[in-house]
Amino acid sequence: MLAAQPARAVPPFARQTGLACEACHTMPPELTAFGRRFKLSGYTLTTRPPLVNDIDDHKKDTLFLTDLPGIAVLAQMGYDHYNRAPPDTGQPYPAHAQSDTFQFPDQFSLVYAGAVSDKVGAWLQLTYNGQAGSVGIDNIDIRYSDHTVDNKWVWGVTANNYLTFQDVWNGIGSYTIPNFNTVTLSSGGVAGAGTSGPILNALGPGSVAGIGAYVFYNDSLYFELSAYHSAVAGGNSPTIDSVSLAANGGAVDRFAPYARIAYERDWGYHSAEIGGSALYVNWIPSVGYISAQQQAAAALAGNTYTPGQTFNPGAINRYTDLSVDWQYQYNGPYNLFGFMGHVTHERQQNSNQLVAATFTGASSPIYSNPTDTLTQFLVTGEYFRNRHYGGLVSFTRTTGTSDPLANGGNGSPANQYETFELDYVPWLNFRFILQYDVYQVVANNQNPFNLSNANFPNSPGFPNVKASDNNTWVLGLWMDF
Amino acid sequence: MRKLAIASVDIAAGIAAIALAAMAVRDAYSATLIVPPDPSTMGTQNLVNNACSKCHGENGISVSPLFPILAGQLPGYIEAELKLFRLRARSDPRARAFMWGIARGLTDEQIKGVAQYFSSQPAVHGSASSNAALADKGKLLYESGKPELDIEACTVCHGHDGEGVNTQPRLAGQHRDYVAIQMSQYRLGLRENKVMQHVTEKLTDDEIAALVEYISTK
Repeated sequence: MLAAQPARAVPPFARQTGLACEACHTMPPELTAFGRRFKLSGYTLTTRPPLVNDIDDHKKDTLFLTDLPGIAVLAQMGYDHYNRAPPDTGQPYPAHAQSDTFQFPDQFSLVYAGAVSDKVGAWLQLTYNGQAGSVGIDNIDIRYSDHTVDNKWVWGVTANNYLTFQDVWNGIGSYTIPNFNTVTLSSGGVAGAGTSGPILNALGPGSVAGIGAYVFYNDSLYFELSAYHSAVAGGNSPTIDSVSLAANGGAVDRFAPYARIAYERDWGYHSAEIGGSALYVNWIPSVGYISAQQQAAAALAGNTYTPGQTFNPGAINRYTDLSVDWQYQYNGPYNLFGFMGHVTHERQQNSNQLVAATFTGASSPIYSNPTDTLTQFLVTGEYFRNRHYGGLVSFTRTTGTSDPLANGGNGSPANQYETFELDYVPWLNFRFILQYDVYQVVANNQNPFNLSNANFPNSPGFPNVKASDNNTWVLGLWMDF
Repeated sequence: MRKLAIASVDIAAGIAAIALAAMAVRDAYSATLIVPPDPSTMGTQNLVNNACSKCHGENGISVSPLFPILAGQLPGYIEAELKLFRLRARSDPRARAFMWGIARGLTDEQIKGVAQYFSSQPAVHGSASSNAALADKGKLLYESGKPELDIEACTVCHGHDGEGVNTQPRLAGQHRDYVAIQMSQYRLGLRENKVMQHVTEKLTDDEIAALVEYISTK
């Protein structure tokens, strides 16, 4: 639904703390037990005294400026080769279809990361997105954190613009492993196999902002309550309209509550976590593709619909996402092993007006069903030797109710794919990646490239399409410095 | 930036501004140089608050067994280890990942201050074992060693109740997991110490488990 950029591990933390990458990361961006604690402590650990600080009459700090700002560059390059060249979209003239694409860079970010004061830390990211071809505000996480003298209770407040970006485990959310580009290249990119997912993964930068409070007890029990509001990029008006919304997008209505609980246990070289989360969203959908017929009907009723515009009267879909996630890590002196994943079940109650086509200018309903459900299952296993060589295997399967009006084709949102990845990591901040994504099922009647006549009017005869047409080789480079 | 500023005023004023700026620079050179403080200028309490306490706790009692409990640890041992970290002469994986960087800029005074701070925090003690037979086996080994394998009693270096001796660490009250991992790292040669490497190479897994069990009761 929205293209949220995954976050990255950053060298400024190493510069600030003096710690090696492996103190916080098994293999970036996956966190170790200590890395989780560092993040929950608001990124504040430092051995460097402030360059400038000021103290008031009560000997309390009123200013704390570090001697070096924690700036980093994060860059990803990707070369993708598809099993089959995507169809010609150059209308009305034929274009030259290629079966590969070079994203150079796929993503280029500038990040400030680190302590702002002794109890406040921040992650502020500005990203050039190669596929969008634009620069924009990316992930933001600003934290206040404190702890009891005996360190048993750590608590904090986070303000962020990406639901799950604040999370510290890697089985679910924005830091789910595999983390290299599987979203942007395999599912949202040129190949665009229709890999629909829950709204939990879709509330990102440019769409929402939220505030949450959390406690972490005894390095084991975590509890968080957050609420997210629409914070649509490009508009400073409280009104949500086609100026700020993308076609087939939308915005959060009022506040979306999110609760997260997790239990972690660390012993020896092992760490295991099991967690759950619940999210409830009132979602204002925006108009997607408008057919000539719909436009004419709308005109008759005195309306003009443009893609991105909300429906009149304001229609609201209600989403409830319940998830279970888990993670096991073995972080030994030579070997790293990880096993993580999640199951998310989503219930989507569609607006009556959109199901019964009673909104202004309606010529046909938007959804086939009053209620749709979606279940996503992801499991990943990874292994690294000496933090230099390794790889992972990941399996994702999504199933759900068939809704032909919402999804097109046969209406099924189902998809299933595996990611196989080999990594060579000469340095922890410089990683070569060879990835192969294999698709068994893609959404919309196994229609590769998410074809619809609306998108590809010149390619009605793209013959013998099958899910495996989306299979993709990715050669990637990921560096942070 | 400077070009923009000059462009916004007339040329004469611009020249004057440059001349003033040059004077300011010259004056700055003649004044006392103020350099950014070295990281090593952090006082003990600041160091504890901003760095040590994040893992070891403000009171020296770490929550996670990844990190040793320092409360009541002997100052001589803390000092010796911090100096080893600073020299990069202790290179077990966690020392490399965490302590090399933390200790890199510490002065002798800071090391002394931190050592004093943690050693003066109230010590903690272990709890009774749920496996008395194993703990008894450990007690025997701890107190008598294994002369036939040239292993002295642990008491010689670690004291009768694991309280430590001079620069040899206090073991009493330490996280069981932490002790177990140190033993395995000595055996793997990842943590350097001739005596402990010898001991862990000669002892069996069961014997090491027994020792760890016994220590956890102290």
